[in-house]
Amino acid sequence: MRSDWNDIPDEEFRATFRTWVDQNCPAHLRYMRKQRPLFNEVAEWYHALAAKGWLAPTWPRQYGGMGLSAAKHMIYVEEWGRLGCPRIPDHGIGLVGPLLIEYGSEEQKAHYLPRILSGEHVWCQGYSEPNAGSDLASLKTSAVLDGDVFVVNGQKIWTTLAHCANWIFVLVRTERDSKVRQKGISVLLLDLTSPGVRVRPIENLRWEADFCEVFFDNVRVPLKNLVGKVNEGWTVAKSVLGHERIFLGAPTRPEYALERLRRLAEARGAFDDPAFLSRFARLRLDLYDLGSAFERYAKVLRAGGELGADVSALKIFTTELYQRITEEMLTVAGEEARLSDDLVAGDIEIDAMNLFLDSRAPAIFGGSNEIQRNILAKAVLHLPG
Amino acid sequence: MPKLMLDDPDGTLVMLRDSVNGFAARFPGPKALRDRRGRGGAMDPQIWSAMAEAGWIGLLLPEDCGGAGLGLREQAVLSEALGRALIAEPTGTASVFAATLLGGASSGAERSRLAAGMASGEIVAVPAWTSGAKPIVARAVNGSIALSGETRFVEAARSATDFLVVAQDADGVTLLSVAADAAAVAISERAGVDGAAIATVSFSNCAVPTERVLSRANRSEDLLRKAILHTRLALAAELTGVASKALELAIAYTSDRVQFGKPIGSFQAIQHRLVDMWIEGEFAAAAVVNAVDALQSDDEDAAQLAVLAAKARAGEAAFSICRRAVHLHGAMGYTDECDIGLYLKRAINLNATLGQPEQLRLEFVERESGLSRGRTYG
Repeated sequence: MRSDWNDIPDEEFRATFRTWVDQNCPAHLRYMRKQRPLFNEVAEWYHALAAKGWLAPTWPRQYGGMGLSAAKHMIYVEEWGRLGCPRIPDHGIGLVGPLLIEYGSEEQKAHYLPRILSGEHVWCQGYSEPNAGSDLASLKTSAVLDGDVFVVNGQKIWTTLAHCANWIFVLVRTERDSKVRQKGISVLLLDLTSPGVRVRPIENLRWEADFCEVFFDNVRVPLKNLVGKVNEGWTVAKSVLGHERIFLGAPTRPEYALERLRRLAEARGAFDDPAFLSRFARLRLDLYDLGSAFERYAKVLRAGGELGADVSALKIFTTELYQRITEEMLTVAGEEARLSDDLVAGDIEIDAMNLFLDSRAPAIFGGSNEIQRNILAKAVLHLPG
Repeated sequence: MPKLMLDDPDGTLVMLRDSVNGFAARFPGPKALRDRRGRGGAMDPQIWSAMAEAGWIGLLLPEDCGGAGLGLREQAVLSEALGRALIAEPTGTASVFAATLLGGASSGAERSRLAAGMASGEIVAVPAWTSGAKPIVARAVNGSIALSGETRFVEAARSATDFLVVAQDADGVTLLSVAADAAAVAISERAGVDGAAIATVSFSNCAVPTERVLSRANRSEDLLRKAILHTRLALAAELTGVASKALELAIAYTSDRVQFGKPIGSFQAIQHRLVDMWIEGEFAAAAVVNAVDALQSDDEDAAQLAVLAAKARAGEAAFSICRRAVHLHGAMGYTDECDIGLYLKRAINLNATLGQPEQLRLEFVERESGLSRGRTYG
């Protein structure tokens, strides 16, 4: 086994990774229609990665990760996408792991990290509440200490994949009267099989349930499941995305959608219409320039630098471009846009409606685009408050 | 603010930016633009020769003909800085286009004379070529060459000492220089939107000695293509600079202007507009950097696409940012006295030079579809 992946030249790493993934990611899991498959739907791929030691790209090697630099991690993600591998339930790998590695106790790390790798613990993220979405700091789910146990009451919502998870890391209010709302919030690790927990899947516009409501009714959580210090969970919660914020701005979805649009337009003869050609050219160039803009931030990471708030420009652009492309698909579909079914274009089927509906979500999750603009206005343009 | 992010291992790019800032303190761009307008659109020879002295004119000329031997990276950064400072001399055409033509021309006394004069500022060599127009025709007559035809949208025509004429002869494209004061050359000027005069230059059976031929068919086609490529890149960089400065002015104004007891820049409606303008500017800068990188590779097809994208993106961004910046200045933005309108007009001029975004985008997809599997659109 390699002593350090980061010592290998990029292209060699890329080739090694690609070859193995291509040989080991099962064919029936490639290019899944579902954006967020359930754990049991992709379990064999999850376990294969774990057995190879390639499940946790950014965790340090001492915890069973690959210890990849940001630059190598980008290659990992690129190849993953290029080979059409399915997204695995990755809250454990992507969020809980890094959170524990930074803020967890030694005991927590020793207990939870191996169970993420083995797939014994499948995690979800309990942040949003019915009245705390963009304004997350107004969250109300409470945790009251009773001896060495927190008693949790309240509700989370938009909890992705909670119905296939058995653990949740949850933001709770541990102090109600704090003047600064960001104070008085704590992070707990909560066993979803505890008495008093109820999970209700919510069907989305695509008639799939990938997010849920989670209710807590006097759920007892041991004090040792607190991550970091009590009342200081906001800092912990905010830290979970580092360089990975660049992936929210990756061109993957618009890239896939534009190729679908092109195939559909060819099949429908839309390129004979100069008005369509003009609109298509704009979308094509938006995608091309998104690649250039993505590269501008990727260069920073490759040089060992850190990303600032300005990387959100990518998130806004890519999610809105994805929407514009899928809107154009419905235009090209003409009266067929009335159908929910996939459209037949030559020898392939184009999931125009599926993509159109799917494209509604990314402009909201990970911080709505309006919230991103608020942040950029302050942090980058330094506009007055 | 949006800025070309290029590696600068030896500090050349920082030095260029600093020297433009110093220059702008001596010759403030907005003032020079207004003065030029007052003169009926003629170039200020003092500014042009100061630019030559700084080494900026013919920056791309190879060292063998007296140039600085610098590359497109340096030109892009220079053009960006000139755009920011609104130093609205015809850098794209009378420096980048002309230097690329001369740089690739056949060695000879005429090329050396023009190149040396350009670099020193004594010669203003203005390209005479119009995209998509009927070409100027060159015929061999009694040991010299006779030119007939006209070229439109020529910048700095009255200030030119020489025209670099791209003409059509029996063999193909030929490049030759013509003394601007030749009897058979007529200049008819119209007012340009940003105050610079834009001329139609006509050649009526204009006799040119064969010594003035700079390059002949086969070579000239490549040269012309290269000159367009380089100039589009320089214009894209200049537009990025214009856009970045206009955004900066809009941010400063909205942060300062108080209504309802608060700076208007604290209102979300205004903030979100400014953020969208900033994103456009960032994308323009990234597109230009991508084009600079692509031009440094050997893949000419990739470079062509990258430059088309950069000029389209930067032109669209500059026009859009400046329009919105004018709006954000309120009634003040509608006055001639306020500088922001100068940026808008400059952006319109540069955006419409060598292809507007719509045209460039269509060219991009056509070119790309031709490259991939011989596929065609439309």
